[in-house]
Amino acid sequence: MGFKSIGEGASTRGRAFLTFSPRSFLPAIPFLLIFGYFFLFPISRLVYVAFLSNEHTLTLSNFVTAFKEPYKTGFINSIKIGLLSAAITAIPGALAAYFIETRGPSKLRRTIAVMSGVLANTGGIPLAFMFTAAIGLQGRLTKILKAAGWDIYAGHFSLGTFTGLLIVYLYFQLPLMVIVFSPAIVSLRKEWIEAARNLGANQFNYWIRIGIPLLFPSFIASFLLLFASGFSAYATANALTVGNLPLTPLQIGGLLDGNVSAQQLNLGKALGVVMILISAMAVVPYLVLQRRAAKWQQR
Amino acid sequence: MKRRLDIPLIATLSILGFFVFIPMVSAFEFSIRTPLKGGYGWDNYIWAVTEEEFVHYILRSGWLAAATVVITLLILVPTLTWLHLSQSKIRPFIDGLSLLPLVIPVVAFAVGAQISFPELMQNTVLELPFLYFVLALPYAYRSLDIGLSSIPLKTITEAARSAGANWSRTITAVIIPVIRGSVMATVALTFALSLGEYTLTVLLHWDTFPTWVTYVAQDNILGAIAISMMSLILPFAILTGLTLLMPERSSQGGK
Repeated sequence: MGFKSIGEGASTRGRAFLTFSPRSFLPAIPFLLIFGYFFLFPISRLVYVAFLSNEHTLTLSNFVTAFKEPYKTGFINSIKIGLLSAAITAIPGALAAYFIETRGPSKLRRTIAVMSGVLANTGGIPLAFMFTAAIGLQGRLTKILKAAGWDIYAGHFSLGTFTGLLIVYLYFQLPLMVIVFSPAIVSLRKEWIEAARNLGANQFNYWIRIGIPLLFPSFIASFLLLFASGFSAYATANALTVGNLPLTPLQIGGLLDGNVSAQQLNLGKALGVVMILISAMAVVPYLVLQRRAAKWQQR
Repeated sequence: MKRRLDIPLIATLSILGFFVFIPMVSAFEFSIRTPLKGGYGWDNYIWAVTEEEFVHYILRSGWLAAATVVITLLILVPTLTWLHLSQSKIRPFIDGLSLLPLVIPVVAFAVGAQISFPELMQNTVLELPFLYFVLALPYAYRSLDIGLSSIPLKTITEAARSAGANWSRTITAVIIPVIRGSVMATVALTFALSLGEYTLTVLLHWDTFPTWVTYVAQDNILGAIAISMMSLILPFAILTGLTLLMPERSSQGGK
């Protein structure tokens, strides 16, 4: 089994190997072995199995089912929650990153970087508890708002609904935006503002002509990464919903656990492959944009 | 220059502060409730810490995270050192590979892992550090890459080698201390990620500290909230302490 995976790990670079002497790649072997076996192998196997029927013949039927109800709604909801949570947090996050990076003292910036790192990774049960305690039915903030005359539970609101989940997602999306957008702010050079001033630009001209055009690719890149993060989040949705809200990660989890029975054994794998494709559509442009931005961000 | 009261900065921090701390403080308030006696106290925390499973799972999560850190450093530091020194043509290829885990949603990775590894391996919790290594790879790789790019690696290595050090000694006694900022950032990041990992762990049916909270929640909700608060505040305190103690330059790298 181990050897088979080595083969799979290596196959993608078959051509490249021929032109190198062993010295030029041997030291990379440990990394390639581990990465090949623990990452490339499971992912290739996932893709392969997604095309297998229950009888182990090649088929597209898993994908056909993946685009039918209830999985279709699952994808639509997941894409919607990814897009909305990214859209709501992108601008506030970018502004926060700007004020903190340009005006904050060093200790504050470093503390915020650590806090953002921890907060962007909160999720699951702890996050669900925090929001239940704040705006759950018996939550602190709920009671305060109610006393102030606004009963948030008067309508159909609950934390397990789409709107509820969206609000909770903002909690890790905002710090994530601060993390991924800060490097772009840091690399805006003071000299550029001064140069623009010397040429007669005011603050507004500077932002329209220089600041915003320079930051825009990083902004879009950050937005795409936020989308991918919201789109694939599992733990928090799993903790807050009780099967009432169709989301692709939850559906895959249900199929994997066998909580949900499906006619097709490999349906979950097909859903996983479609998820990878959607996520790649956001993350690959993110990586390309980041790489291009890195060129002028170097000091 | 920056000592004066800065209105936009204060406004930003207050808004962020409210957003971050209202849910946190609300949960904290629940966690110190003592419904039997009324009022507040540390009962839930004391209950949690004295649970036998608390120690069991915290130790388990701790050593899994430590194992992930060891694997990460053991594999990445030599590989990256070599990539930087040899100017190998496969460097862009490996750079690209290291970013791939960002593209794959963890749920999909979990499904792949479940159907790929032999029984033997799925039955040992040792598979987790290797999978956590993959999840942390894009960040760990970049952090170490930045560290190695910022030093005169070639000169340092040649000096160490001509002074008689072999490769492993060059790496452990010279290179790692020189890029300790990046190494610390990598360690902190990998450790925190492994300690808090939930999705992959629960989908592969393993129990660690983060998944244990789910069970606790079923019979002692306030105790579970107390545990959640600890799992949030501890990394917070440790990492903030680390960054503030570390010298200025070394806070570079990381995510």
